[in-house]
Amino acid sequence: MDMQVKKKKLGLKEKYAHMTRGLDWQPSYQTKEAVFPYATYEGIKVHDWDKWEDPFRLTMDAYWKYQAEKERKLYAVLDAFAQNNGHLGLTDARYLNAVKLFLTGISPLEYMAHRGFATAGRNFPGVGPRVACLMQAVDEIRHSQTQIHAISNYNKYYNGFHDFKHMLERVWYLSVPKSFFDDAFSAGPFEWMVAIGFSFEYVLTNLLFVPFMSGAAYNGDMATVTFGFSAQSDEARHMTLGLECIKFMLEQDPDNVPIVQKWIDKWAWRGVRVLSLVSMMMDYMLPKRVMSWKEAWEIYFEQNGGALFNDLARYGIKMPECLSRASIDKEHASHQTWSILYQYGGAAAFHTFMPSDEEMDWLSAKYPNTFDKYYRERFTYWREQEQKGNRFYNNTLPMLCQVCQVPMAVTEPDNMLQISYRESDYKGEKYHTCSDGCKQIFDDEPEKYIQAWLPVHQIYMGNCFPEGTDPTVEGFDPLAKVLEWYHLVPGKDNMDYNGSEDQKNFNAWRGLATKND
Amino acid sequence: MSYELTIEPLGQTIEVEEGQTILDAALRAGIYIPHACCHGLCATCKVQVTDGDVDHGEASTFALMDFEREEGKTLACCARLESDVTIEAEIEEDPDSLNLPIEDFDGEVIRIETLTPTIRGVWVKLDRPMQFQAGQYVNIELPELAGQSRAFSLASAPQSPDVVELNIRIVPGGQVTTWLHENLAVGGKIKITGPYGRFFVKKSANVPLIFMAGGSGLSSPKSMIEDLLAEGCTLPMTLVYGQRCRDELYYDAEFRALAAKHPNFTYVPALSSEPEGSDWNGARGFVHEAAKAHFDNDFRGHKAYLCGPPAMIEACISTLMQGRLYERDIYMEKFFSAADASQQLKSPLFKNI
Repeated sequence: MDMQVKKKKLGLKEKYAHMTRGLDWQPSYQTKEAVFPYATYEGIKVHDWDKWEDPFRLTMDAYWKYQAEKERKLYAVLDAFAQNNGHLGLTDARYLNAVKLFLTGISPLEYMAHRGFATAGRNFPGVGPRVACLMQAVDEIRHSQTQIHAISNYNKYYNGFHDFKHMLERVWYLSVPKSFFDDAFSAGPFEWMVAIGFSFEYVLTNLLFVPFMSGAAYNGDMATVTFGFSAQSDEARHMTLGLECIKFMLEQDPDNVPIVQKWIDKWAWRGVRVLSLVSMMMDYMLPKRVMSWKEAWEIYFEQNGGALFNDLARYGIKMPECLSRASIDKEHASHQTWSILYQYGGAAAFHTFMPSDEEMDWLSAKYPNTFDKYYRERFTYWREQEQKGNRFYNNTLPMLCQVCQVPMAVTEPDNMLQISYRESDYKGEKYHTCSDGCKQIFDDEPEKYIQAWLPVHQIYMGNCFPEGTDPTVEGFDPLAKVLEWYHLVPGKDNMDYNGSEDQKNFNAWRGLATKND
Repeated sequence: MSYELTIEPLGQTIEVEEGQTILDAALRAGIYIPHACCHGLCATCKVQVTDGDVDHGEASTFALMDFEREEGKTLACCARLESDVTIEAEIEEDPDSLNLPIEDFDGEVIRIETLTPTIRGVWVKLDRPMQFQAGQYVNIELPELAGQSRAFSLASAPQSPDVVELNIRIVPGGQVTTWLHENLAVGGKIKITGPYGRFFVKKSANVPLIFMAGGSGLSSPKSMIEDLLAEGCTLPMTLVYGQRCRDELYYDAEFRALAAKHPNFTYVPALSSEPEGSDWNGARGFVHEAAKAHFDNDFRGHKAYLCGPPAMIEACISTLMQGRLYERDIYMEKFFSAADASQQLKSPLFKNI
């Protein structure tokens, strides 16, 4: 007689292990080293890939089902927003400049993240990280697509949304986020995981995503908010992947600790530099503000990031030294970055503007130590000049940091009268960086950074004009030619918001929507 | 009204108050369910409801999809019970857990000893044997103090199921411990509920053990070591035990005797405030320093059990990790509080330590 033996139920973790492990094969006619050529050259030692703990257990089958429903919901909201002229419900069309910054500076990076995780997944010899990187690669391309779709509606009505990919590769300040990803993508798979999986997705993502998505919510941009919700449910997986990778490296071999420390130092600082663009967005570009950059930095970095570094200290990992400077810079970053974009607003891919009195009062309340003392007078003067029809545009070009590519117009943390810059000599040439953090990065791998494509330098070298341009003709206007090469129409896609087509159209359309004549 | 929540694969049943979330109730019962955002957006805490009804609360429609709701998934951080419920969560099954039922016992104090100037040993005879795992704790309830209760680890081994030993340190200003020190006498009656907790020896791992104890944290390691030796365990095991001075080093003689009797048991006492030049021949310094020296900064291949004040635990974790023993091999009693549930300032780098 058959006995029914009650089988012990497998836990979810065991179930997942049965479904995902042991599926790879051992190479027979090639060596493992030849199949995974990038697994060792960074110096990371791995003794046991099976110690990798899957931070999330997701199968492709569940993944498609899950993402498909998310897409249906997202696109229903996007359609409704478009069909009901949702753009007229924005607080003010000034807000759209923050969206332009996001579309040109962030969305293409999601695509780069997709490529990077696909590559990392290919290059890791362990099954666990391979599967995790694959999932994240698919997430990232989805984020890129949904962002482009969510924002594309604005392209029907407003300027500056027309050619984001082209702009990312050419426009000067967009080389700040672009070079961050280029630097990570051209590193090895382990450094990529620290740069993007850990530094970007874990340490910095709240400072990047929350301001943009809350900004959208505060300013009536339902399409972008909904995209944010749809992406946030993936972010938890991305963060845990970054954490798992850090833990894995630190636990596999003591020799990995100093390498990981170096990467954390590097990518924390590079991240802080990219975030200077977010700081000005938060403090200056949102008609309805969420919180100040300084407050965001204190909550998301100093408190939450501090808790993380306390835990990492158990492995012997120290808080990057460069970040002590960032806690001084938090009082200045947004004001200085906005000053740069304002004065070079003739070459930007969005509109810039000076804050109103009321907005300046908000800034001085949020920045009692710095705004009135260092910035208010300058901004008031610029605004007066603008009102007199004498809007200030700086017609020279700023020098860029060889590493982070931020214009060198940021001051020393302890001396507001001194522009912060450092010098390094390499093979008989001088290279300039903006800070100790960037100089350290340069000095560690000079051969990599001397190849940086610095937009300003390229303009001066004559590499940023449309094909066939003759700079020797009489009356040659280099800026006009550069803008043509950027695919930007002066005055329409950039310069001051006051008097712009966007401003006129938004006010006219909104008037039609709310009045009868 | 409250409902009962059964959590699989543990098979453990806990009480959930009206309006309380599944996550909150589980964390308070010492059961870790993975979680992150705590407000229904990230889906880290997704669980399967296999029986009963829940209200999904504020779970985002992007984090808990319609098809998942139909399949009986819910987000523990937002879900509230509408009946008795069984869930299946991503909890690693622990082969060493006996999942013992929690019961109420009536006890009578049969012996009291002053162990140190601030710690009393109290032996309680129970109305019937209590099955427990070495390392677990009980709650004792005092009718004299309006039914207030406090948790104490069991200091005796499970081989003595009807007389249990509690080591009670007087907490300055503490109502309950002060009462226990000043008023509790032989013949006194107390109510005991237990056994609680998931801090016990991972016997199935079958690897050498390190116990690190300090302050009044000796109870669980004492019970664990006595239990292992009584069972005839021959794995190497080391107790690193620290106090400030010799007065406080209770049970020193007993552990020396155990070490003499069992060649696989090593006893490493450490004193942090012993005057220079005294005749103390043991380690000087803190527990983590003594452990680092004893193991020559290499803890690989062990499992470590920690018990003591928070600063000692933190120092021991860092020392173990820098000596290459990590989260999966480090155990400690963890009392979750409401602050843990909201996870304001804790990084998610570690789950259990």
